[in-house]
Amino acid sequence: MTARILAPFSLLGRGAIQLAVGVGRWGFLTFDTLRALRHVDVWGRLVVGQLARIGVDSLPIALFVAMFTGIVMALQASYTFTGAIPLYFVGVLVGKTMMLELGPVLTGLALSGRVGANVAAELGTMRVTEQIDALETMAYPPVAYLVLPRVMAGTIMFPIVTAFAIAMGIGSGWITAIQLLDMTSSQFWMGLTLFFEPFDVQYALIKATSFGFVVTSIGCFFGFGTRGGAEGVGTSTTRAVVVSSMVILVLDAFWAVVLL
Amino acid sequence: MSIELNGIHKAFGDNRVLRGFSISAREEETLVILGGSGSGKSVTIKHIVGLLQPDQGEVWVDEERVDTMDREALFELRRKVGYVFQFAALFDSMTVAENVGMGLRRIGDLPDAEIRDRVEECLALVDLDGFGSRLPSELSGGQRKRAGIARAIAARPRYILYDEPTTGLDPLTRAVIDHLIIRMRDELGVTGVVITHDMESAFRVGDRMAMLHDGVSRFFGTPDEIRGVDDPVVRAFIEGRPELLEEVR
Repeated sequence: MTARILAPFSLLGRGAIQLAVGVGRWGFLTFDTLRALRHVDVWGRLVVGQLARIGVDSLPIALFVAMFTGIVMALQASYTFTGAIPLYFVGVLVGKTMMLELGPVLTGLALSGRVGANVAAELGTMRVTEQIDALETMAYPPVAYLVLPRVMAGTIMFPIVTAFAIAMGIGSGWITAIQLLDMTSSQFWMGLTLFFEPFDVQYALIKATSFGFVVTSIGCFFGFGTRGGAEGVGTSTTRAVVVSSMVILVLDAFWAVVLL
Repeated sequence: MSIELNGIHKAFGDNRVLRGFSISAREEETLVILGGSGSGKSVTIKHIVGLLQPDQGEVWVDEERVDTMDREALFELRRKVGYVFQFAALFDSMTVAENVGMGLRRIGDLPDAEIRDRVEECLALVDLDGFGSRLPSELSGGQRKRAGIARAIAARPRYILYDEPTTGLDPLTRAVIDHLIIRMRDELGVTGVVITHDMESAFRVGDRMAMLHDGVSRFFGTPDEIRGVDDPVVRAFIEGRPELLEEVR
């Protein structure tokens, strides 16, 4: 009877311990990644390739998501404001929301699927096929060779991709406003600039930078820790996407509390 | 002694794989470690290059203690050791030539032309001339194994660890790889540790043999000695006669 009553607490306790162990291991990997900076001869020539893979190749999906978000934002704003608030507030809403929230968060979530899954699957496959062991036997520090270039590329490229996504979202919102709503470009522009603060851009880029770091480092963490065969790779990939998506949302709230 | 493992214990959770295993390989000899699948042979040689740390026991290579080395010292040690993986462990995204040249590029002071020459030389040694531009996915199982050997020998290591180099290969390719292992020892003075359960290959390449059974060394001696051994566990393994194990049970 007592055991049955205590079972949920025991489950909760085990979950908390697992979480703490996971966070601790991720912390160690992050520390190792920073220490690997001194092996510039190993990671230096690999960063450019990763910048292209993680950043440039992610642009289409980020722009696609942002384009439709901008369209929907403009239409929903107009629907909500009809009759009560001047229509140029559509520009305010599209601009502010794309910069402060949807640009960075939706790009982060889309890229956690694309980049996080890719990194975890690639490193996981390398782990189970002993390619990471092979690197070690050839005296290559695997963190410097595999993790650092990816984390660095993610941290650099996520804000750049996010900036393009924000521009695309605002652009598609503007085209929607002038084509489908009874608005002019100058009205949209007036709304867009009415409450604009340069800090909005800064805020978006800070968030995107942190998202880039967590998506790639969590992808590397789960990929590196893969055990077993194909099933293990699948599990690591799923976990990488789920955990990095959750961390993005937590970070989103964190930055709102800290910076706004 | 050039490679020495003393009383190695290693467990993964409740699974106690090694329970005090000891072996030694002398300079310029090929030591074969025999044992059934899952007996811990791969786990054993991973200790030699520090890919695994023993729970208990000591690992020595070249008079240096490996199990207490820091990372930098381990990287230095690994420059002297080539490792042939069971499934080759070639990097999928690189060509065969890039794979073979990986270890050489890590040495740092070799010019590109010399790296190219050494890669071609190593590929020729394993009869893979002209295969440098192919991707690992375009090679057969035997070719992948040979490419793995070419990668292991490219940096001219003093020691080579072979993890089941002939498993799953046709008899002809097995013989080619066995002769390659013998050439490494005879022509380049390489000390080799070969783990296998292929007895024909073991007798062909081994100067001495150890049999790993239940986590400990069941036999350690020359090929002639193992042929004359009375231990039913060893005989059952080398003669492929499971009925002999009934005597033990």
